[in-house]
Amino acid sequence: MKDIVDPLSRRAFLKTGATLAGGIVAAGMPLSQAIWAAEGKVLKARSTIDPKTFDPGFYNYSHEVDVMDCIYSKLTRYKPGSEWGWELEAAEKIEQVDPTHIRFRLKKGIKFTGGHGELTARDVKFSFERVIKNNSPVKVDWGSLDHVDVEDDYTGVIVLKSPFVPLWMVSLPFAVGHIVSEDAVIKATKDGGTFGTKPPAFSGPYVLADWKPKQYVVLARNPEWSGPKPGFDEIRILPIEDAKAAERAYQAGDVDFTSISLDSLATFKNNPPVDTKVEEYQTLNFNWLGMNLDHPKLKDVNVRKAIQWAINVPQILDAAYSGQAAPATGIIPPGIVGHRDKGLVPPEGDVEKAKEFLKKAGVADLALAIDCTNDSTYSTIAQTVQAQLSQIGISLEINLQDPGSFWTLGMESEGERWKDLQLILTDYGALPDPYYMTSWFVQAQVGIWNWERFRSERYDQLAGEAVTIDDPNVRAKLYHEMQDLMEDSGAYRFLTHRGEPIVYRATRMQAVTRPDGYPLYPDFMAV
Amino acid sequence: MWLYLLKRIALAIAIIAIAVALLFLMIRAVPGDPAAVLLGPRATPEMNAQLHEQMGLDKPFIVQIATFFGGLLHGDLGFDVFSQRPVADIIFEQLPFTLELILVSIFWAVVTAVPLGCYSAMRRNSLVDQVAGVVTVAAIAIPSFVVAVYALLIFAVTLRWLPAIGAGNGFWDGLIHLILPSFAIGIGWVGYISRLVRASMLEILGENHVRMARSFGISEWRVVARYALPLAILPTVTILGVGIAWLLSSAVFIEVVFARPGIGALIVNAVNSRNYPIVMGTVLVTTFLIVAATTISDLVNAFLDPRTREKL
Repeated sequence: MKDIVDPLSRRAFLKTGATLAGGIVAAGMPLSQAIWAAEGKVLKARSTIDPKTFDPGFYNYSHEVDVMDCIYSKLTRYKPGSEWGWELEAAEKIEQVDPTHIRFRLKKGIKFTGGHGELTARDVKFSFERVIKNNSPVKVDWGSLDHVDVEDDYTGVIVLKSPFVPLWMVSLPFAVGHIVSEDAVIKATKDGGTFGTKPPAFSGPYVLADWKPKQYVVLARNPEWSGPKPGFDEIRILPIEDAKAAERAYQAGDVDFTSISLDSLATFKNNPPVDTKVEEYQTLNFNWLGMNLDHPKLKDVNVRKAIQWAINVPQILDAAYSGQAAPATGIIPPGIVGHRDKGLVPPEGDVEKAKEFLKKAGVADLALAIDCTNDSTYSTIAQTVQAQLSQIGISLEINLQDPGSFWTLGMESEGERWKDLQLILTDYGALPDPYYMTSWFVQAQVGIWNWERFRSERYDQLAGEAVTIDDPNVRAKLYHEMQDLMEDSGAYRFLTHRGEPIVYRATRMQAVTRPDGYPLYPDFMAV
Repeated sequence: MWLYLLKRIALAIAIIAIAVALLFLMIRAVPGDPAAVLLGPRATPEMNAQLHEQMGLDKPFIVQIATFFGGLLHGDLGFDVFSQRPVADIIFEQLPFTLELILVSIFWAVVTAVPLGCYSAMRRNSLVDQVAGVVTVAAIAIPSFVVAVYALLIFAVTLRWLPAIGAGNGFWDGLIHLILPSFAIGIGWVGYISRLVRASMLEILGENHVRMARSFGISEWRVVARYALPLAILPTVTILGVGIAWLLSSAVFIEVVFARPGIGALIVNAVNSRNYPIVMGTVLVTTFLIVAATTISDLVNAFLDPRTREKL
């Protein structure tokens, strides 16, 4: 030891150490030269997720599509405003020729960046078919797509194996409907598979100027864009997962557009920050309490109905969402085909009726367990349900699970845990077509995503039929019946579709969103 | 010394290997499937099986762990389940943000706490010592995330002096974005280190060699700086080694509150989504950093204290 120490004095050592530490700190700093251009009109917005891909054919999260909407074109897009619908985007015309054929004609002059030429029907064919050919996790969004026939540079026909009405609201205007350049993607990936976070060409009003994981996405105007000029020169999207952190970022002026949590909504409405506009939207999510029909304790429908009637949904929503969410009448939210005006069990339930059902079942001192994810909202819901069920003599044990564990609970492929499952608190996201919401409860999904193990031949028959019917009124009746069947089984107590409040600085922008509050950034107008 | 270094390196490798192997076992013992999280409700059983095969999850455990360590020898930590990007790229993108946060927090805590501890010891029971005692104990008692939230509300939301979120761009912007998070993390350490330095200093100041130095007429400040502090600082150096390890695991709160990039939040998200390659990679890196930090603190102790050196 001495031989090494002697040549170096303690003072010299400390000096060297300090210099080294400073160097390490400096080296660790984000010395990126990609400083955002501060000129022009800049929109600073918050996203709830950090994008994992910019490939529309292989998207993971709905909010990744917010960026894709800006950098690619698609045949149609969601209509901005308060009612769900679609309008033309890259297509000049699109029509249903027959139940399995849809002809489209592209607008001329939409260019891909990087010298990859004009957007043609071949690119449409490539973009749609690659999702199926490459076995993308989201290929189900394309339903029964068979192939696309190219008639000429601008005209093509989408050919389905069987009628698939959700194509109009799920496939075409959302993620998998975005059109990428065949030339660019083949050059980048060889086989047309996913290009992940490195888009080889853009065809939307913006281009991806910079992306730093967990820091920001910067979109800049696409110089080759020939469509309507977007309102902002640049969009900076900051990933802030925590809603409270996002609210503070908004109050501090770090972002100008964000969604906020439901429990902060009243505060923002009563005492809004300067120049702030608060808007409320309803999500497409559906949140329910499920019961495992195959569990011995829940086999008797009277027990299940007792639980349904003992649950007071408004009380739960007061506790978990500060009373800022509306009760759900089923799994299909308002504004979507098939939404029921009211459910079979009223939101408030009826404790006396619940007791009668329990008496009819001849059950006393029933002890059950409920599983949910370990976040504060779900544990609050579970505790409220626990209190409500105690009123009819049912004791409830709450099992909080981390998301990784929770989301495999009812899967037969993941062991035997599904057998012990009793009550479950679940929340599914959705796209604006009832097909998306109802497809998880068919018999084929038992032990996969149908954790209540609900089985109904009639339900399956209606589910198959409903995707082939164009007439929204006829279709709605089918979905009404499907939800009635679910509720009548006693396996479901529908809770809420939650809400999506957003805030933005009205002195800087007019925000434009879908009916569920998702931002349509290319339509944002600078003030 | 060389033998000591070799022993430490061998021990470090063993610790890392054991930690990673244990984690490998633990993460597979708990229920959960990355395929289910990644593919979501849209996945078919065939797609699940395909992803399992792609991730090597269909192979026996021993093959999986051997593949992981084999890849490690080639510097390959695997690929992120979600983005399919190399795990090493993802970790080394995020790691600098956590390191800079920890180092800046520790740096300002040490720079503030050591003089404060010395002064308190020199002016024992004075008003300054008593006030410092109350304030530092309070600083230790308040959790860092509480400090973070209130600091944010005061300096970012109300006064708008400092940014609320993010890590900034470039050196100076990055430094400005570090002020609030490093304040929140470091404030507890100011209290802790100053109490430690004060206690050690009081003990050292009463020792014979210090009394002898005083008897030679050497000024009190010189006695403290030259003869007492190098010995009184030893427990602090040891604690800092452990502290860096502790900060690596606790940085996650601050990263969430300030929406900062970093490996704390990366680990939590990866565990929740059963993103095994990211979990394994981050634990490997953090274990290495913890072992490195404790080894460095032992070596610094040896440099500063001749008695320790003799024992090596």
